[in-house]
Order: sequence, then C-alpha cells, then structure tokens
Amino acid sequence: MSLSISLSINGAARDIVLDDVRVTLLDLLRERLALPGTKKGCDRGQCGACTVLVNGQRVNSCLTLAATLDGATVTTIEGLAQGDRLHPVQQAFLEHDGFQCGYCTPGQIMSAVGLIAEGHAGDDADRIREGMSGNLCRCSAYRGITEAVQDATRRMTAQAAEDAA
Amino acid sequence: MLYRPESLDAALALMAEPGAVLLAGGTDVYPALRDGMPPDRMIDLTRVADLRGIALADGTWRIGGATTWTDIVKAELPPRLAGLQLAGREVGSIQIQNAGTVAGNICNASPAADGVPALMALDAAVEIAGPEGLRTLPLHTFLKGPRQTDLQPGEIVTALLIPDGPGRGAFLKLGARKYLVISIAMISAVVEIGAGKITNAAVAVGACSPVARRLTALEAQLTGATAADIPALCAKADLSDLSPITDVRASADYRGEAVPTLVARTVLTAMEAPHVA
Ligand SMILES: Cc1cc2nc3c(=O)[nH]c(=O)nc-3n(C[C@H](O)[C@H](O)[C@H](O)COP(=O)(O)OP(=O)(O)OC[C@H]3O[C@@H](n4cnc5c(N)ncnc54)[C@H](O)[C@@H]3O)c2cc1C
Ligand code: FES
Ligand code: FES
Repeated sequence: MSLSISLSINGAARDIVLDDVRVTLLDLLRERLALPGTKKGCDRGQCGACTVLVNGQRVNSCLTLAATLDGATVTTIEGLAQGDRLHPVQQAFLEHDGFQCGYCTPGQIMSAVGLIAEGHAGDDADRIREGMSGNLCRCSAYRGITEAVQDATRRMTAQAAEDAA
Repeated sequence: MLYRPESLDAALALMAEPGAVLLAGGTDVYPALRDGMPPDRMIDLTRVADLRGIALADGTWRIGGATTWTDIVKAELPPRLAGLQLAGREVGSIQIQNAGTVAGNICNASPAADGVPALMALDAAVEIAGPEGLRTLPLHTFLKGPRQTDLQPGEIVTALLIPDGPGRGAFLKLGARKYLVISIAMISAVVEIGAGKITNAAVAVGACSPVARRLTALEAQLTGATAADIPALCAKADLSDLSPITDVRASADYRGEAVPTLVARTVLTAMEAPHVA
C-alpha cells in the first residue's frame, strides 16, 4: 500500500510517494532522491554514518521510517555548503585532518553540526567526545574530529557574535 | 500499512484490530525487523499529542508515553529524578536519545534496559490505556521477564508516573567501553539525607536478573548510615535476589563481584559524598 509524504530536503520541498511504507529515510535519500552523501555503515543504529538532521535534531536515518516524517525538514551533508563555500564544520574537518578514508565523515559532520546547535558541549573536549559518541570511525580519526569540532564551535560562536553586533 | 494517528482514541481504535505493532522511536523495533518479516500493520505513536510531555500534578510526575530520552535529559526535574536523567544520557548515543522513548525502553523489556533500574528506584508506575479504559500498575509488576510485559492486546502505555519527593538520585552504568554500549550491570539509587545520615534509600540493579531488582534488604540497612559506612555495608550486602548470568558481555562472577562496588559508588554519588569514581 502506498503513502504520500511531503518533506523539505536541504531547503527544497519534495512530494514523495512511498510504494513501500517500510523504506528508511536512508534508503529513500540514497536510492530514490540521488543524495548518496549520507552513508550506510551498519544499518542498525550503531555507527552513525547515516546521521542527518530532522527538524534540526540528529537522527540515524537508517532507523527512521520515511513514512513517519511527513512535513519534516531534513538536512543532509549535501545541504551544508553554500555554493563553493564550505560550511565551517566541513572546513574545520579538512584543516584538522578529521578523517582518513572518509566513509564516516558525512555522518560525523552532520552530527557535529547538530552538536554545535544543541549548544551544551562548547569547546570542552570531553563533552564533545560524549556528544559525538554515536559516530564511530574505523580509521580512528577521533583526535582530528574532536579538534575540528572545537575549532568549528569557536568559529561559529565568533561569527554569531559578530552577526549579532 | 503504517498508521499515523494524532489522538490516543484514534490510536486505540487502530489497536482494536489485532496484529498491529506500535512504533515510537523505532530504535528497538527497527533493528529487530531486519532479521524477520516486517509487520503488515504499524502504528506510529510520535504524532499522538496526548503522549508527549513531562508534567508535575498532585505530587506525581507524569512522563508521556512518547517522551524521548532527550526530552527527559533536557527537562527541569528535581534532584530526586537525576538518576533517570543520567540513565537517559547513557542510552546509546544522542541520535538514539533523540528518537528513543522511555516507554519503548520499558515495553521492549530488555534485562539491559537502562531506564528500568532508574524508574524502579523511583517507584514508578505504568499507566496503560486499552479497550477497558485506563489502568495503572507498578513497573515491577508490569515487567514479567525478559521481553515480557503485562501489556494486553489492544493496550498502549500512555505514561510513566513517578512520585515527586525530596532526595537525590544517581545512576551508574558498567560497560565494556565508555559510550554507546549495552550495560554489563547498572545501578540506580535514590537517597534522602538528614544530619549526614541516610533517612531513606532505594537501590535497583539491572542486567543481573531477568528483570531489574530492588535491593530491599540493603535499603533497610542503609537507613541511618553515614557516607563512611557505605562501602562496608555494600560489600556485605545480601544479593540473593540477583541471579547474574554469563553472556557475551561478561561472566556471572564478574557481574557478582562488580555489583557491590558499583552500588557503593552509586549511593555515595547520590549522597554527594567524595569517593573514587
Ligand atoms: C545503537 C543502539 C544503542 C542502544 N543503546 C541502548 C542503551 O545503551 N541502553 C538502553 O537501555 N537501550 C539502548 N538501546 C535500545 C533502545 O534505543 C531503547 O530501548 C529505547 O528507549 C527504545 O525506545 P523506542 O521509542 O525507540 O522504542 P520502539 O523501538 O519504538 O519500541 C520498543 C517496543 O515498545 C513498544 N512500544 C513503544 N511505545 C509503546 C507504548 N507507548 N505503548 C506500548 N508499547 C510501546 C513497541 O511496540 C516495541 O515493542 C539501543 C538501541 C540501539 C539501536
Ligand atoms: S548506518 Fe545508520 S547508524 Fe550505522
Ligand atoms: S575516516 Fe575512515 S571511518 Fe572515519
């Protein structure tokens, strides 16, 4: 039985007919919407490679049924950069070597964007590690990841202060 | 088919026809689906307005049946409920906490569910709506065994009910690594203190018996104890209600040895007394 949903994905409104209501957001993004930036690692919530923002909150898209999201706003890794200008978190991952093979990186970056928006961790390395613990990195680039998140947090806080002034 | 009711009545009406699976955060349901045939009828509870929210009324905290762990962690709750909030911080990852619910945690009835000892130490009750109306029963009666609850066909957990009160709660989880890990054992304690001595204590242990257990004998001994007494009292605590098993995560012996130490640390944390973390 099919079901229609409307989503805003990276700022664009999409009306989608789901032929199988059991499709996950992850499979919908990758296989139907040509957004393969979001990665499938474990497909069961354990690795974080599939992390996206739904209504601003980080979720594992492999554990989210697309059909439950009618009306939601979804942001994926493809939605972060503005044209050629990278998002500060993307930039910081490059500058701090926050990856090796890069497979976990879209999930790490989306998770970091969510973490910074939550605003609890600041640039405290321990709180960042706790907040990023849902994202595993088989290459163990954790040190660079933590530094990148700290740096991006500082830059984004400074930018926000500048914008407010 | 997936149904997305917006009211409790609509959800209950959908439950009247047998065979439907309730879906809250889906963080237990969905990984389990992978290995078998997905159910034909699923009911998404996340849009049911009556099931959201945390509120205090008439001395009881009411935590709606679709409240997420993140909602709990972020809520302004008294120190008595700190153990529940700490348990929430240790459920999987932030991604899991944003989707997973407290009701889903207890309905899934895993012996390793982190929410259960925290709720047991708070004397939580489960409010259930069904064809016959509302009923409420204590969490320890609701949980019947691993993966078994008292939930009858057609019923939905509408809330967890927690008596408000003084005191402070704590929660400690032992896992093979620091984060994103299933518990080897976990302890939750709630203590009330007067003049440096415990006047009332509740201690629950998870993952060391088919269903988490309160340590009632130890609780009685803790009354009147000072922080200095805690390690010795816990070291000789009667743990005969527990029946730890050996599984992929730890041996029965390791669990048995870890529990007294963990209990002492949890009680001391709840007392805000200095100790080795
Ligand atoms: C990677 C990963 C890590 C995890 N780590 C932990 C952990 O550290 N600690 C821990 O305790 N758990 C952990 N879990 C398990 C899970 O996330 C939690 O148990 C969570 O609280 C389940 O909530 P949910 O809303 O996702 O439940 P769902 O999966 O939606 O539902 C679980 C069960 O409860 C039923 N149900 C849900 N809501 C209701 C209701 N209102 N009334 C009646 N029945 C209902 C469902 O039908 C189902 O049987 C983890 C899961 C994953 C995937
Ligand atoms: S693919 Fe979703 S958490 Fe691993
Ligand atoms: S960079 Fe290879 S898995 Fe993280």
